[in-house]
Amino acid sequence: MKKIAIFLSILLFMGTMAFAQTRSLSGTVTSEEDNLPIPGVSVSVKGTTLGTITNLDGQFEFKVPEDARTLVFRFVGMKIQEIAIGSQTTFNVKMTTESVGIDEVVVTAMGINRPKREMTYQTQNVKEEELTRVAPTRAASALAGKVAGLQINVQDNGVNPSTQILLRGLRSISGDNSALIVIDGSIASQGAFDDLNPNDIADISILKGATAAALYGSSAGNGALIVTTKRGKEGDKFTVGVNSAYTAEKVAYMPEFQTKYGTGWEGAYDAVENTNWGPRFDGTLRQIGPTFPEGYGLETQMVPYAPVKDNLLHFFNTGNTFNNTVYFSGSGNNSTFYVSIGDQRSDGIVPEDTYERNTFRVNATKKIDKVELAASINYFTDKTDVVGSTIGDQDRPLYWFILNTSANIPLEKYKDWQNPLSYGYADNYYNAYYQNPYWAVGTNRNIYESNRLIGNVSLSYDIMDWLNFTARAGVNNVWGNGKNWRAAQTYDPDLQPSAGAVSSFVEDTEYQTKTYTGDALVTGNFKFLNDFTLKAILGGTVFSTDTRESTLRANNLSIPGFYDISNGTGALVGTVNESVKRNFGFYGDFTLGYKNYLFLNFSGRNDWTSTLAKGNNSYFYPAVGLSFVATDAFEALKNNEVLSSAKITVGNSTVYNDLAPYRINETYSQSNGFPFGSVNGFYLSNTAVDANISKEKINTTEIGLNLGFFRSRMWVDASWFNTVTSDLITFTTPSITSASTSFLTNIGELQGKGLELTLGGTVLNVSDFKWDINLNYTSSETVVNEIYEGLDEVAVTTTGQYGIYAVVGEAFPQMKANVYQRDPQGRLIVDPVSGHPKTETALVSLGKTTPDYIIGLNTVISYKGLSVSTTWDYRTGHVYYEQGSDAMEFTGRSMASVSANRQDFVIPNSVIETSPGVYVENTNIQVRSGRQSYWTDVYNDVKSNYVKDATALKMRELAVNYELPASLLAKTPLQKVSVGFIGRNLLTWLPAENRFSDPEFNNNNDNRIGVGGYFQSPPTKSYGFILNVEF
Amino acid sequence: MKKILKYTGLLMIVVSFMSCDDFLDVNDDPNNPVSVTPDLVLPVAQVYTANIIQGNTGRRANCFGNMLMYNWSQSDGYSWYTDEFKYNVTSSFYQGIFNDSYSSALKQYQILDQLEGEKYNNYRAIAKVMKSFHFQLLVDFYGDVPYTEALLRSEEATPVYDDAQTIYEDLITELDTAIFLINNASSTSLVPGADDAIFSGDMTDWKKFANTLKLRILVRQSNMSGRDGYIKTELGKIAAEGSGYITSDVGVNPGYVKEEAKQSPFWNYFGWDASGTITMDNNATCATDYVLEYLTTTTDPRIDYLYEKPSTGHLGVPQGLLDYDTPVPDAFVPALVSNIGPGLLKSPTQDAVIFTLAENYFNQAEARLKGLITSGDDAKTLYENGIEASFDYLGVAEDRYDIYIAQNKNLVNWDSSSDKLEAIITQKWIAVNGITAEQSWFDYNRTGFPSGLPISLQSAKSDRPVRIYYPAGEYSSNGENVPAQPDAFTEKVFWGK
Repeated sequence: MKKIAIFLSILLFMGTMAFAQTRSLSGTVTSEEDNLPIPGVSVSVKGTTLGTITNLDGQFEFKVPEDARTLVFRFVGMKIQEIAIGSQTTFNVKMTTESVGIDEVVVTAMGINRPKREMTYQTQNVKEEELTRVAPTRAASALAGKVAGLQINVQDNGVNPSTQILLRGLRSISGDNSALIVIDGSIASQGAFDDLNPNDIADISILKGATAAALYGSSAGNGALIVTTKRGKEGDKFTVGVNSAYTAEKVAYMPEFQTKYGTGWEGAYDAVENTNWGPRFDGTLRQIGPTFPEGYGLETQMVPYAPVKDNLLHFFNTGNTFNNTVYFSGSGNNSTFYVSIGDQRSDGIVPEDTYERNTFRVNATKKIDKVELAASINYFTDKTDVVGSTIGDQDRPLYWFILNTSANIPLEKYKDWQNPLSYGYADNYYNAYYQNPYWAVGTNRNIYESNRLIGNVSLSYDIMDWLNFTARAGVNNVWGNGKNWRAAQTYDPDLQPSAGAVSSFVEDTEYQTKTYTGDALVTGNFKFLNDFTLKAILGGTVFSTDTRESTLRANNLSIPGFYDISNGTGALVGTVNESVKRNFGFYGDFTLGYKNYLFLNFSGRNDWTSTLAKGNNSYFYPAVGLSFVATDAFEALKNNEVLSSAKITVGNSTVYNDLAPYRINETYSQSNGFPFGSVNGFYLSNTAVDANISKEKINTTEIGLNLGFFRSRMWVDASWFNTVTSDLITFTTPSITSASTSFLTNIGELQGKGLELTLGGTVLNVSDFKWDINLNYTSSETVVNEIYEGLDEVAVTTTGQYGIYAVVGEAFPQMKANVYQRDPQGRLIVDPVSGHPKTETALVSLGKTTPDYIIGLNTVISYKGLSVSTTWDYRTGHVYYEQGSDAMEFTGRSMASVSANRQDFVIPNSVIETSPGVYVENTNIQVRSGRQSYWTDVYNDVKSNYVKDATALKMRELAVNYELPASLLAKTPLQKVSVGFIGRNLLTWLPAENRFSDPEFNNNNDNRIGVGGYFQSPPTKSYGFILNVEF
Repeated sequence: MKKILKYTGLLMIVVSFMSCDDFLDVNDDPNNPVSVTPDLVLPVAQVYTANIIQGNTGRRANCFGNMLMYNWSQSDGYSWYTDEFKYNVTSSFYQGIFNDSYSSALKQYQILDQLEGEKYNNYRAIAKVMKSFHFQLLVDFYGDVPYTEALLRSEEATPVYDDAQTIYEDLITELDTAIFLINNASSTSLVPGADDAIFSGDMTDWKKFANTLKLRILVRQSNMSGRDGYIKTELGKIAAEGSGYITSDVGVNPGYVKEEAKQSPFWNYFGWDASGTITMDNNATCATDYVLEYLTTTTDPRIDYLYEKPSTGHLGVPQGLLDYDTPVPDAFVPALVSNIGPGLLKSPTQDAVIFTLAENYFNQAEARLKGLITSGDDAKTLYENGIEASFDYLGVAEDRYDIYIAQNKNLVNWDSSSDKLEAIITQKWIAVNGITAEQSWFDYNRTGFPSGLPISLQSAKSDRPVRIYYPAGEYSSNGENVPAQPDAFTEKVFWGK
């Protein structure tokens, strides 16, 4: 083997040229493991092509320029070493084996480092460079497309967006399906993850299933993301660095709307309508808005009755984000430190939306003899200032006002809304029903500030060579406050007779969450009978979280523009919500190894929780797993040039989930409007609770295969899992006549199955040219096996006409909507009088809202300092509800509304039922009211019209990066300079039927997946530049 | 080794702390009590009752009646009442009446009904009276509904549907029980006070209301054949009981005030919001042309109280008008049409009426006319009392009542009216207009009066619906029990067959 290595090394340096050199360096390279010299090691000056290789005795000698600063030592299978030259001329270098493939050590549950070969389940790591390639503001969004089994839903693209993290689909109908987040060993939260500066993250280890995460207890049922933040590296000298990024954000595409008909009603032109049921555009000059009286100072507004190109698009700005991080890293004297300060400033695409945030992090470690202490402190603060979401007298979101602007309206011209003599002024605005969006931006603000302090301390004590004690404590406190206000608006009754006056309010919010975690564990490593090893872990953990939020609201303010609760009239409305949840547990984990190729793992944990009934609040979860490294077990497979490793894993685990706090009892709340004077009143909760409500059980079986090829240069990971959740804690939908609208009980069974495949590695590595690839495939489906006797579906959310359901025998979450009645041949059945299609009474299942499969593709092509990387993500097999499109049908801007030219028409391929079961083709019965009310009242009532294919192909990331050669920096104090162009979501491909919004948008970060496009602004793409400089 | 001991000791401390029961004893909700006294339950229930009749944030029974009975229409510029104008009876059409009855009002009354012991006799009696009020309304809208197994929360998630007539009969029994409970309350029984937002704890009034409801239930069945014997027997019991009927309008008022979420519901929905701004619903809602014409023809002074009179004179809109701008553009904008009038929209603190005194007189008049009651005031007196009560409610001067009633007009003057029953029902239609108009729809389904009422221009049917559909939710959550949707235009509730 070594010979080949030598040969390769020689090849690599064939082209090395010798120039005039001025300084001679020499030394010996030995192996850390056995202290033997290593021949053939390449020794080069960083950033240049100058170099040599060691001789058979591991020695080298060559001349370097005076200004050479760093030597780089490379050898196949060994870790690359960089050593500062300084004034030294001789170097004794020890190289350590690089653990690749199955010997790579990764962080697993409870912060335990294990080589991959020992692990009986699947994990995947995402490294810092993969996270920050396109300078995301949230690390979560940078995970999309990179990990098999992981689904990232970016739910909106406001200045402070929210992201849903799902691992292996859904396991619970009513419960939380989001992955657990662990930061530096302490259980954190998605909020804490989003608040991290992505530049501070060193590595994210994704524990995909409950088996991997079982040691974390209840919260681990959905898998876990183990986040490790950066530390100063030992042996590093002091480094100061700056990461800067600027990105511009633009609307990627607007909904597709008709541009044939403008403002009007029932075919007649109307100057003040928000709806588009007017005559066909003809280009003539027409009045819009109110008629102003003589001497008003403003002429009645006249515009051509013709579409204004991109009139809605131009409402949106180009957003800007500046992101800067300064970091300091270093080590010395058995200690390391990492300090960073981050600053982000963003303007959104919505005018006046802004976001600012700052992050501060200090990570430090110190080794004192056998004890290692580590501490990290992260402080985060941000301020979000966005347009309110309860605009106008109907409490609508901003997008509504924009979308209610007809194609013939020059929207951009209404910016001057504060000027009484402008067309944008409330009394003068053209639209009688929905206000000027610029006015909305100025008179509705939602401002909130939050702070988060995360602190972690840990102590690790190597009591013996084989025995370690580790204790950790963590605190995760978040607190913040918000002010949401709306200005009052009244109207001149002559100019705006139809406008609904807007009442004012101010709402003050304060919230805080305090989470404390602690754990202690003892790890022992034993060897016995020569061939056997045992790793035993015993530990205990404690968790406590307190939340408190309060809101005070004052209505109908006395002094305009003064947003303080003292300014309200009538009683203040206030609420306080507090909760406490605590639990503790003990666990043990035993891994028995045989000859380093067979590992059997048993683990168990017992938890006690505060949220279940006393006496029934403890539960034990066992897990068992097996890992078998075939390539080490069979002689025939050893040292194979192609297949370098093959590992098979099998595992089964059980995890229980408890309730949220205070759920075991039915409670009363003060009723809306109360107290009336001295009369107070409370109502019984609409949720009825099963007196025997108990824990839910998640059992997962998984089989995995990990193959490494060509010395682990290429690898394939495959896993299959089967998760059965039983006794699901579920908010079922009882008959409302039971006097409750939801019933919390343990029900039936949910089963999820899935397959994950990852192909990764270096496809090409010739000279300075390298091509890395990661292709991953995820398919998973959760099916409802059983609910309970007499109930075969549960509505997660429903309007009665459409909703997200759990239906027995069908995939979950399932979209259901009302549909047209069809004859056995699938033709629409129409009413013989009105020509209107008939609808079925019951809602029909139309597909699931999570994809059948996701394919992620990441490639990095690099040549010397230049690299080009892309991340693609393709999802298909699911549907989503175009809520915006549904809401807009009324206004006559949909493409459907012009599909029959606003006339009565015969629905193609329709039939009439002449007698029961007899269908005759409809050739002459026209749809009545095709001019308007067929669309607004009939078509719009069939909600299946808005259920669309959610398939999407996205180029999520594009990064072109160039790292300047060190030779250029040689005479500067700079160590590293890299610059790059970055792009996010530059390309999106959607199926033809979906031309409204991003199917990934979602109204809620929970199981109500698949309804969106109304509250969110249009989808965006962004691009910009990044710069990284190190001193 | 010492260090090991030290750390082990530390671990032990942590462990002993954790095993402490107190650590986990934190599951009591600090913001929501698990039990409350009846005086905190009752006023909420009554406010819910008011909202089911008058609507507070959505359209409910009264609005339904006004739309179906051609009292109200829609101004230009609004697409407010499309389903009403199409008689588009779907499983979401006015489903709030069904849903709110069970999940809000009845839920609260059930808590009181389940109290045990003499101490709670009065609260239990009120609960039974109000449950009867709601269940009758449910039967009148839907026919068969869950009753015996309803309201049991976690004990019965899928209640069976009970026969409408059987429910009706049991309501009579429940009302008897309510009166029994009041009569048998002792000195230790709690008597509601200000928390009773209807009668302020006057238990005699509750007995009167129980009798009044019984009368409504019985008169509703008076068109059925073979039912007279039963009705007479039950009416006899009312007479024997002796408390009599209500003597004023029955309304809910917990202390409504001109503040956000604290206004009287009808005012809040169809009038002005807490800031004094007119609501969109006020602008959107106006008189029909027909009703104005009718009131004008009968020289009924109530016209200016039921409907706002614009400076340009009364103007109504035919229901279901599509083209508002022909022949005269903008002729029907809110400022020009007769919106809801000042006799109905009195103030933000007005009582939310759930049962009018006028209706009670008309019910008595009908029973007397049909010979179901044979003593006391004659039908004519009761009829005129009903009209007078209507004038009183709307605030019309007494002398104008005298003038009105003296006119020699059919369906106005008792003696001039050819069909006395038609006169009673038609006058009831005017009396409950804008107050409890759903009652008029029930009467229409039962008697066909008032006659000559137009139907909406957008109706595909020749007459208004006689039923509404069960909510869609029942088909997904209680599919095994809920009956198939009836034909909303032909299948009348049992008392109308």
